[in-house]
Amino acid sequence: MKIPLRLGPLKAEGYNIHRSGVRWLCESGQLCRPNQVVAYFNISFERTGASPSDPWPLGEEREIQVACAPRVGGRLMFDTAAAPGGYLSIVGFHVWDAEDLLGHLETDDSSDDWNDDAGRLRLLILAGRRMTPLADVHSGLLPGWHGRRRAWWYDQGETPITLLSLGICDLTGVMMGEQGAFLEMFRSETAPSQFVFVPDHPIAPAAPVLLDQLERSATQFRAMSSDLRAELSNAGAMSTADDWMFAGTMLSMQQRCPIRETYELLSASGLTRGGPADAVLLSLTAEPPTILRHKTLGYRLHVLTHHQAAAGPAIRRWLANAFESIRRTTDDIKRDYENLTDAIEKSTGAHVIILNRMSTSGGEDISNYAPFDSPMSDTLANIAAKELNLMLHDIAAGRNVTILDVDAIAAEIGGAEHLPDGVHQSSAIQEILREEILAILKGLRI
Amino acid sequence: MILEFRLPLLIPHMSEALIECLYAVPDATLKAGDRLVDLRVDLSSAFSQDCPPISYFRIILRENAILREFRLNCGQYCKVGELIAEFSSVAEGRDPRAPRGVRFATAGIMHHQGMWTAQNR
Repeated sequence: MKIPLRLGPLKAEGYNIHRSGVRWLCESGQLCRPNQVVAYFNISFERTGASPSDPWPLGEEREIQVACAPRVGGRLMFDTAAAPGGYLSIVGFHVWDAEDLLGHLETDDSSDDWNDDAGRLRLLILAGRRMTPLADVHSGLLPGWHGRRRAWWYDQGETPITLLSLGICDLTGVMMGEQGAFLEMFRSETAPSQFVFVPDHPIAPAAPVLLDQLERSATQFRAMSSDLRAELSNAGAMSTADDWMFAGTMLSMQQRCPIRETYELLSASGLTRGGPADAVLLSLTAEPPTILRHKTLGYRLHVLTHHQAAAGPAIRRWLANAFESIRRTTDDIKRDYENLTDAIEKSTGAHVIILNRMSTSGGEDISNYAPFDSPMSDTLANIAAKELNLMLHDIAAGRNVTILDVDAIAAEIGGAEHLPDGVHQSSAIQEILREEILAILKGLRI
Repeated sequence: MILEFRLPLLIPHMSEALIECLYAVPDATLKAGDRLVDLRVDLSSAFSQDCPPISYFRIILRENAILREFRLNCGQYCKVGELIAEFSSVAEGRDPRAPRGVRFATAGIMHHQGMWTAQNR
């Protein structure tokens, strides 16, 4: 049976939605699964009834794309006219028309039971807030450098649940997938969902940093901004482009609080605003044993070593001179998590999910612990990880927190093969973690 | 008898390690349980990415030995299998017979301020 694949409705009241030609993510004739994202467009908006003073839909997000997935599986056959290529598949020359045909799906099922919805493509909206408007890149899905990326799909009458990920690299691959566009998250999630990812550029999301962001006033942010500007001005010719890039990025990220942010959503029903996030995903790996605290302004900062190296000499000098290093015990980290989860509970009520740490290593063969001074968690990485993992259980026992147990998953399928350095996972672990995350979200929907 | 410590394969895919700390001096008599060296393994030499997969390890002796020499200093890189230290066995003195590997244990450790990378940022 042939099922024609049509775009289906997408609306923004007061605007025409323009789309580019299609860009395919697979070959014509390829078999595809139900809900597999197979193509995408860039979209833009044209005012029709809206006032020039009205903000543009998804105005902060200059990267807006619509990816699409057939609702049933089968052999996908392209309509070649839908993909003119070149700039015609980048620039929005076509007004969105729900009846536009992209191709058809050949299924083995010869019954006539398919309803009209079978050929209506599932639309996955992708939006990226550029770290700088200069980062306009036209290739691929969600191209360029973003301070926030998100994707969502839901049908008319549905309300999506939103998961915000604030982890570092042990959550980046899990959330963003191989193409950086959440496709793997949506591969097995057809329930109405929005996934949001905020990177660790250049500030890593340790609990004290997030807590400071939640509680920071506009006046405090202006003081931070003035301090940084003064530092770079004083550095004079010593400051480099890398310093200014770091400073701009840091201020851009610190002036917002992703936990409080709400989201404008585009869908078949039109534009709506949702959020803030229903669940916040954190990583225990983001919690360092020492954290920087500004000597006069008091805010906390955690910059990963390779991001410190990416800053210029003036910023590195500022980090060394304007901040003091505060050592954190496991109890300190516990207290920081408790303060953060309590503040989130009070502020948005979001459920907190924390990815724990791998706490065993096949490369270790300690047969006698006598050579190690007490407390051994100060020296031995795996004991430190075990203590931190146990600490999470103490927190989860009394708070709105769920542990995402990568420690158990890696132990089950093999740490040496799938988690060689204890942080960076194989796709197999990432897939299991996604399933766990979706199961947690399913529990929150009830 | 001569005993050798060569860089072992601490984790899959590693090709080299950085010497972070050396815990003994030549002619020192080391006991089983004594620290020998801290190492840093950075897998980004194998997997190109910005977030470097870095691990730290401590090598601990599992037998008594006299350190003859370290072949490398802190801050230097060594390849898997490369000779890092030579020992004499305590029982047999400086016997020139064919060397064997010294017995050691490996522990994953936290980065600390005594490391070469902490002092040379």
